[in-house]
Amino acid sequence: MLEGVGAEVVLSRPTGTDLLEQGVRHCVDDICVPVKLYYGHVLDLVGRCDRLFVSRLVSVEKAENDTYTCPKLIGLPDMIKSSLEGLPPMLEFTVDVQNRSFKSSVKRMGSDLGAPAAKVRKALAAALAVQAQYDSELLHGLPPAEAMKKVLGNGDNGKSKGKTEEKPARGRHDINIALVGHEYLIHDHFISHNLPAKLDRLSANVVYMAQVPADAIERELERYPGISWTYEKELLGSASYFLRRPDIDGVMLVEGFACGPDSIIGEIITREVITDESPPLITLVLDEHTGEAGVATRVEAFVDLIRRASRMKQ
Amino acid sequence: MKVSTPHMGNAYIPLSALLSNLGAEVIIPPRPTRKSIDMGALHAPEFVCLPFKVNLGDNLHALQMGADTLAMVSGMWACRFGYYGRVQHKILRDIGFEFDSILLGRDGLLPVYNKFRDTVDGNLLRAWAHAIRAFRQKARAMDTLEKMSRNIRPFERARGSTTTALADGLALVHKAFSLREIAEATEESVAMMEAVEMEDDNPKPLRIAVLGEIYAVLEPALNFDIDRKLGEMGIMSYPVMSVYKWLFRPLKIDPSIMVDERMARRIAKPYIAYVLGGEEHQTITGTIRAARKGYDGVIHLYPFTCMPENICRTILPSVEAKYDIPVLNLCLDEHASPTGIATRLEAFVDLLNQRRRKKI
Repeated sequence: MLEGVGAEVVLSRPTGTDLLEQGVRHCVDDICVPVKLYYGHVLDLVGRCDRLFVSRLVSVEKAENDTYTCPKLIGLPDMIKSSLEGLPPMLEFTVDVQNRSFKSSVKRMGSDLGAPAAKVRKALAAALAVQAQYDSELLHGLPPAEAMKKVLGNGDNGKSKGKTEEKPARGRHDINIALVGHEYLIHDHFISHNLPAKLDRLSANVVYMAQVPADAIERELERYPGISWTYEKELLGSASYFLRRPDIDGVMLVEGFACGPDSIIGEIITREVITDESPPLITLVLDEHTGEAGVATRVEAFVDLIRRASRMKQ
Repeated sequence: MKVSTPHMGNAYIPLSALLSNLGAEVIIPPRPTRKSIDMGALHAPEFVCLPFKVNLGDNLHALQMGADTLAMVSGMWACRFGYYGRVQHKILRDIGFEFDSILLGRDGLLPVYNKFRDTVDGNLLRAWAHAIRAFRQKARAMDTLEKMSRNIRPFERARGSTTTALADGLALVHKAFSLREIAEATEESVAMMEAVEMEDDNPKPLRIAVLGEIYAVLEPALNFDIDRKLGEMGIMSYPVMSVYKWLFRPLKIDPSIMVDERMARRIAKPYIAYVLGGEEHQTITGTIRAARKGYDGVIHLYPFTCMPENICRTILPSVEAKYDIPVLNLCLDEHASPTGIATRLEAFVDLLNQRRRKKI
């Protein structure tokens, strides 16, 4: 989209120690890890770009009831504006589908960049086509970075440095483990300590949330009404979907420390969704202090437990 | 029907008037203590916000005292508060308690209205009308007394006399049942407050606005009774919110509250462009207003991991700098100790005193 309106896109580097440390240093102590990460990525871009693209996701779903993303995603540009200095001027992209169409949000951003309306329209159509292609790749089980590479030809504008992602091969192992959690945690290989690859090394197939079709989530959610956080609805719906499927051997619920909605949805999943027939579920809380060994131990124990249970069943 | 609801400052007074007028027996759990907060924290999710844990502890207490119905507000907001009732009641049922839930807001109003059909003898509508009038009258009385105590306490001659008078007055109001009794009790308790002896030579006290997350501001068990502490240090405290406002804001019947809310949103707009679901606009606007009114400082209270207030906490330093008003941020959780809070308060007050001397 941005390239379509004539902008050159500069991406922040993959998360690393310095980047996270910068983020933590500039944040309030008890804010959630993803915001700390975001700050790190913003600071990483200072001096390398003319405009800083920051999205404000107010609502991303048109529904009868009020829907929100989460207070921090709504207030993100406000926080950054007020607490960081020396930033390039911000390019704010507000998505509030409940009150304004997505198209008009994009148009507004386009005009902010000084692009003519016709160009914006064309770029948007192209961008949406690419997005649809990307989504279908995700649905087939590709992790985001690979899907991006496949769709755009270059996953991160060819500037990948730091930890490279290990590719988990699909469908070749005997057990399937579903990962439920925000994508910015699971697929951030620094903060999740490369969780998908860890599972692969333990000979477990990884199933992502993005592989659950949207209508299946919708169907599952009918059982659990009254949630207003769109992204948490996805978590709840896919957790419920996975926990009812016979071919899933275990579910890992990945939460970011101090994530407000996660604390509630995690509790709803563990208390309302799990039944006696459900596969085992483990909750993994990640924060900036989480050690790799801690994650590895828990993942190994979980996989061992599943293996043993399935052996005993036989 | 034995109904209980978690504590929120003195909200139990009007709420129990409402419920007892509807023929329900009201179970008021003891005020939250360290122990009940720990109990709540034991059963609550790890990093949920503190009010959740405190409320859960209150509910546990109430159930142990024999409550068979728990009432809670519920809704679909961006903030977690809307889910408290649902998740807490589920946790309590998992522990093994059996009870009825009243989730105000989630089920709509009609089921709640009808819930009291069995407990009320005679006309249900009339009982509701009476209950609501008693509720409003007691809420007003409570608000008047709280405000008076704030104005009197910094100047009281004998330390603690205001607090005693306030407690006695509130107890009187709480005991009154009919509308006439409530009116009389209000008059009597106001007289009791007026009878508190005050120092004659009033030095100019420091003035501090207290704002932040509503539960942290209004629940003395959570903020270590900051209202009283400040008063007894000889400081005028001005909480931005009150229990009265909290009770009546969602009802949308008091125009002054609605105007105030709208103004607050407008003033906070340059800092927070969208509604976040909490008290964020009151926090930002309260700080700006405190500076405009010439207060000496602002105390910002919020529970650990509170989403909207964490955003305010990020934004406040720039407001603080722009409007030149000192802000003390106090983050409260189940591990906060009274000594820690007291030390920081004292240090803050010392700084404010110095600042004032420098200005003159």
